[in-house]
Amino acid sequence: MELRLKPKISKLSIPLEAEVISPDVVAGKTLKEVEELRVYHGNRAETLGEYFEAEGEVASQTREQLIIVDGDVSWVKYIGAEMTAGKIIVRGDVGMHLGSRMKGGEIIVEGSAGDWVGAEMSGGLIRIKGDAGDLLGAAYRGSPEGMRGGCIVVEGSTGYETGTGMRRGLIVIGGDAAPFTGAHMNGGVIFILGRAAKRLGAQMRGNGSLIICLGEVEELLPTFVYDTIYTPTFMRIYLKTLSEKLGIKRAEEYIGRPFRRYRGDRAVGGDGEILVVERG
Amino acid sequence: MMRVNGVEVEDTFAEAFRMWGCRVIITAKNQKWADTAAMEMTGFATSVIMCDCEAGIERRLGEDETPDGRPGTAVIVFAHSRKTLIEPLVRRIGQCVLTCPTTAVYNGILEEEADAMLDIGKRLRFFGDGYQVKMRLGDGWLRRRRFWRIPVMEGEFLIEEMLGAKKGVGGGNFIIMGVDEDSTLEAAERAVEAIHRVPGVITPFPGGLCRSGSKVGSRYPFLRASTNTPFCPAIKHTYPESQVPEGVNSIIEVVINGLDEAAVRKAMAVGIKAAVEVKGIKRITAVNFGGKLGRYQIYLRDCLGGEAG
Repeated sequence: MELRLKPKISKLSIPLEAEVISPDVVAGKTLKEVEELRVYHGNRAETLGEYFEAEGEVASQTREQLIIVDGDVSWVKYIGAEMTAGKIIVRGDVGMHLGSRMKGGEIIVEGSAGDWVGAEMSGGLIRIKGDAGDLLGAAYRGSPEGMRGGCIVVEGSTGYETGTGMRRGLIVIGGDAAPFTGAHMNGGVIFILGRAAKRLGAQMRGNGSLIICLGEVEELLPTFVYDTIYTPTFMRIYLKTLSEKLGIKRAEEYIGRPFRRYRGDRAVGGDGEILVVERG
Repeated sequence: MMRVNGVEVEDTFAEAFRMWGCRVIITAKNQKWADTAAMEMTGFATSVIMCDCEAGIERRLGEDETPDGRPGTAVIVFAHSRKTLIEPLVRRIGQCVLTCPTTAVYNGILEEEADAMLDIGKRLRFFGDGYQVKMRLGDGWLRRRRFWRIPVMEGEFLIEEMLGAKKGVGGGNFIIMGVDEDSTLEAAERAVEAIHRVPGVITPFPGGLCRSGSKVGSRYPFLRASTNTPFCPAIKHTYPESQVPEGVNSIIEVVINGLDEAAVRKAMAVGIKAAVEVKGIKRITAVNFGGKLGRYQIYLRDCLGGEAG
């Protein structure tokens, strides 16, 4: 069942906090009740209806609910936060904290996203067709663990500290990754198909932490120890998953290619891995 | 007595037993190495009378059928119980597959179809001596799977953490009686070829065939199984309770284990139908113990359905 939320404005200087834009919240409500849901503009409590026009159908079950946000909402934060099922499609850009602490379901953003996409998420799938800001899949300040499950695919590039403190799950970056990607990782997998910037995996520990670079690497920290060049079988499974389950067909080009294996970050006694595709 | 293609099919049943089965998918750089590992792993695994398990190759798998997109071979291992299945799997994968160049091991029975998940990869990971790496897939967005990457001299051995096992059927069988060795062997070979097109079954004996058969006990107190004297043509006129018909001079048994009873029935049916096509085959029968020992009684007439005539 499809619920369409059409933005009534195109810009807002103070972002709107609208975690109510979630299948978990709207399912089972009437359109009128949806428009009366509380949102926060700064420290003022307002209604969703003041900013969005709701039309379409509301499902009784969360998993059957599709929410289409029909336009640019780069001024809206927390869309899909803590959602457990259902689907959200944003036809434009989206603001910070999209799908933060998400547990299930799917979010598709046809534009770009702000910072903290999927922060501390534990399940579900987020797909950003444009770029994403800083701290995607990261741990909130003071929290020991970032992303704990689920999958984030960014077809464009990502900002600083992507996957910081990541514990489990998968992040796929189709474009370039800014510095400090995978810092403090303690599990989880990050694929970078574009260029990986400096400080990759800084202070990464172990527990299966893995960064796979299919593009260029600007510079690896000296605390990552080079082991070997090899063609690991497990890589085929990841690359097939990227191609078959996530639709990233160019991943198949790397099946059977050799990789350089680095272990670290030895600065913190870590035994995570960075695998860099051998070029040429 | 019914007839199929002019061959007598005795109105009797194969007495089969509950066994636990585990399908293991072995992949390798090419079919040669997948087959090599599979053959090593299924060696000396004909019968639980003297072996730790019963195992065989189910079929070859194409690149589009395996998790890593490489050629593969599916093996099924059977044992009396879930508990007794674990040790043979650990030993055989550890000694025969882990050691074999380029191989990897994956689960061949999905968790929702399995009666139990066995932590075979989880046990074998210790071979990595602390350098093994856990590989995670699908936390919260795809089917959850776990693998272990174990560094070895040649590269890295990959094994799935849990392998699915289910309650299956062991000891499905039929006996082919022919006028001579050549026709009986040819019929048995054709039967096994047909059986191997049925999913979920193996024929654990050499080439799928058991030329000796066996009976419970012997005249020697130290021997708990001995040659199947009632079915030995060489003593048909000297063994008082011989069941070898006149004109029959060679007999071969085909033993079938399957992941479920339906698969064993189907395998017996296609095997018998293939065997009776060969000139010189006189009779088909089956081995049973009067229904006293096995949980399953698979009647030949039921397997063959309306094929008699």
